[in-house]
Amino acid sequence: MTTPDEPGTQPAPPASGPSRRRFLGGAALGAAGLVGGAAAGYGIRATQDRPAADTDSGEPSSVAGAVSVDKAAAQVDFYGERQAGITTPQQERLMFASLDVTTTDADELQRLLGRWAAMAARFTQGKPVSDSPGKPLAPPFDTGEAEDLGAYSLTVTVGFGASLFDDRFGLAGKLPAALKPLGTVPGDTTMRENFTGGDLCIQACADDPQVVFHAVRNMVRAARGTATLRWSQLGFGRASATGAGQTTPRNLMGFKDGTNNIHADDTAAVQEFVWVGDETDQQWMNGGSYLVARKIRMEIESWDTDDLEDQEKIFGREKSSGAPLTGGEEFTAIDFNRTGDDGEPVIDINSHVRLSSPEANGGVRLLRRGYNYTDGQDPDTGKLAAGLFFICYQRDPHAQFKVVQARLGSTDLLNEYIAHIGGGVWACPPGVTAAGDWFGKRLFTENS
Amino acid sequence: MTTLPRTRTAAAVLTCAAALVLTACGSSGSSESSTSATAAATTSAAVSSATSAASTEGSATGSSATSSSGGDGAAQVVTVTITDADGCVADPDTVAAGPVTFNINNVDALGVTEMELVAEQRILGERENLTPGFDSTFSVRIDGGSYEIFCPGAATERTPFTVTGQAAEVTGDLADLLQQAAVEYAGYVDDQVEFLITPVKELQKAIADGDLEAAQQAYAKARPFYERIEPVAESFPDLDPAIDLRIGDVEEGTEWTGFHPIEQALFEKKTTDGLNDLADKLVADIEELQKLTGELSAATIADNGKGYQPFEIANGASGLLDEVLQSKITGEEEAYSKIDLLDFEANVEGSLQAFATLEPALDQIDPTLVPTISTKFDDLIAVLDDYRDDSALGGWTPYTDLTAADKKKLTDALLAVQEPLSQIAAKITQ
Repeated sequence: MTTPDEPGTQPAPPASGPSRRRFLGGAALGAAGLVGGAAAGYGIRATQDRPAADTDSGEPSSVAGAVSVDKAAAQVDFYGERQAGITTPQQERLMFASLDVTTTDADELQRLLGRWAAMAARFTQGKPVSDSPGKPLAPPFDTGEAEDLGAYSLTVTVGFGASLFDDRFGLAGKLPAALKPLGTVPGDTTMRENFTGGDLCIQACADDPQVVFHAVRNMVRAARGTATLRWSQLGFGRASATGAGQTTPRNLMGFKDGTNNIHADDTAAVQEFVWVGDETDQQWMNGGSYLVARKIRMEIESWDTDDLEDQEKIFGREKSSGAPLTGGEEFTAIDFNRTGDDGEPVIDINSHVRLSSPEANGGVRLLRRGYNYTDGQDPDTGKLAAGLFFICYQRDPHAQFKVVQARLGSTDLLNEYIAHIGGGVWACPPGVTAAGDWFGKRLFTENS
Repeated sequence: MTTLPRTRTAAAVLTCAAALVLTACGSSGSSESSTSATAAATTSAAVSSATSAASTEGSATGSSATSSSGGDGAAQVVTVTITDADGCVADPDTVAAGPVTFNINNVDALGVTEMELVAEQRILGERENLTPGFDSTFSVRIDGGSYEIFCPGAATERTPFTVTGQAAEVTGDLADLLQQAAVEYAGYVDDQVEFLITPVKELQKAIADGDLEAAQQAYAKARPFYERIEPVAESFPDLDPAIDLRIGDVEEGTEWTGFHPIEQALFEKKTTDGLNDLADKLVADIEELQKLTGELSAATIADNGKGYQPFEIANGASGLLDEVLQSKITGEEEAYSKIDLLDFEANVEGSLQAFATLEPALDQIDPTLVPTISTKFDDLIAVLDDYRDDSALGGWTPYTDLTAADKKKLTDALLAVQEPLSQIAAKITQ
């Protein structure tokens, strides 16, 4: 998609082993058993890989994200030094919500973040808001639609938008440089106000759509009177792979997407590109990450009339196999220098795969976590309203997302078939460590 | 005591109605209301004064008694610690009668969001929105007796709490306050139905005269009186459909009667032709409504259990906001006249009145409750006020002129009131 198809360590082929220097390297897991394979392998893989990865990197073992095996019963630890839902092996479903804070009382805002943390801790264990059955004449504590379902590896990740750091809550001095507005990025002319920005965001991911909806619905309900829903997005299909053992999914254009995404077990890459460290100008973000979301509409009807050769030229890859046009298999390295009989580069100079490559962007990478979406039919045009809800995580959106998007937004051949219509940037603070802690506690309680 | 509040309420509404004729009874002054003044200040002025008057008859009642309890400096302090392991623990668990301040600390109980001080089924004080990692507090004046500290969702939900001796000052009796609320609300409903009859008869006459413009004006004049008491009207299963059904809800083979076929003719077909029978039936149905609400009102005053129940009034307050959410904010209610915001305001006004009658009782349960909800009502009315338009029929911007952003703004303000309001029925049950 319009998003960086940046290389990463591939999990599978033991022969070659991980090397994050290798551009588009690695080997495909193969398309066979796409869903079932991913589902079955997922939890097992994660539990096997996790401790080793932690040991290798010296990462704290309390990083949220360890998962268990059964899909419905699978749980991802909510508490940890990092928020879950970033490097957690990507689940199949998303509900994303952006909220505007309406209160001007900083204490009320903190209580909301505390209530959200308490709710998220329970939801991620498959529990409702409260164990109490409630009172006959009061609305139930929990809305109930996820009762009996299980946690389905639910993660709830919360972020703060730049707009929160105005004079309402005394946070003006705590805006990290990395969260400052990106300014105009090429390709942003189609952005729509009603899908853009927000003081707070919630990213709920799970392997069941009702579980993610339930989490966001109840959190938004708890916010009534304190914050209101600004916009939201349901994502129905994983459009990237963040975990070892996950197959490369396809986007709605039918192409494999994110073949070379950073994987969670590539701890060196994760540390280098995803987690904010001591270098931050705002220590409350140390251990967090920045979320950039882009709602990218696909011109589905136009794409569907484009011939295969052109589609493959745009991406720079074969549609069916995902192999680069310079040959091989999905994970075969791309030879950007090769020219054809006509003397032109085989991989077009404006192809998506070339423009989004780290080589074209000073080595920049980011962790992708996107989902396919549809909003049904566009009421104005009658066209399918569908595309990619791109999410990526990084240490600094100015140095990472913006660099890549500036290049893509200018000359990517894909731009004829897509439009960026919404999104935003949020600072996701470090994890909630225990009951009684809450999202962004350090932001509110420490002087920086 | 029973008749006084009713008279006061009626007088206030009359004044209000006379001043503003169509709409906005009570909300007109709210944009000026400030700080702790409640949103209900203007509408509930009569209610409040009635309460004050009532309090002179005997024991101290309502907010004055309760709110003073926290500020006389003699309050005992009880620390309530809520943990996942032990539930809610009060220290000390025995105090002498009088003012007590509860300092609550939810340490790590994720599923606990509230703490109540209860005696049997009655709530004497409570705090909501408890969040792990945060402290909360409330004050209450309590008499001697056996109580429980109730933390729904805690490992141990209920722990005994004992109050010894006698409070220096006796608080008002909650049951009396609730009965008073029911009587006041009955009076309010009676008044609205009475006021409704006049414009409905004007409508009938304008139709008989073939005066389209006068009929349109009368239609807009009548609607708010009905919308203010909609939950009561809905409690009569035959009458409400006859009066207020929209075309999409009419079963096949059933005749479409009431306000909306008249609305369609007046505003879409732009004619009064053929409406005489409908207008006559509407008048007859409203008169029937007056008879039935009169009976309810009498039963309420007689306190025989067949009148308005306080929890019904609370549900009605919340239900009126549901009406807005379901059919006004969507523009479905007044599909032809586009006066949905007039109905919107009337629903809010009715909700505010219902809430206002319960205020003295709610103040006894939790002194922070009324200001919290009132502030949200204030916010809602302030948002709504932006859409006043004296040049438009009914005095409000036509629904079709609202943008999606306008509707979202109104919905958000509405939800902010409705969420806490939906909790009050459970608080006043005993």
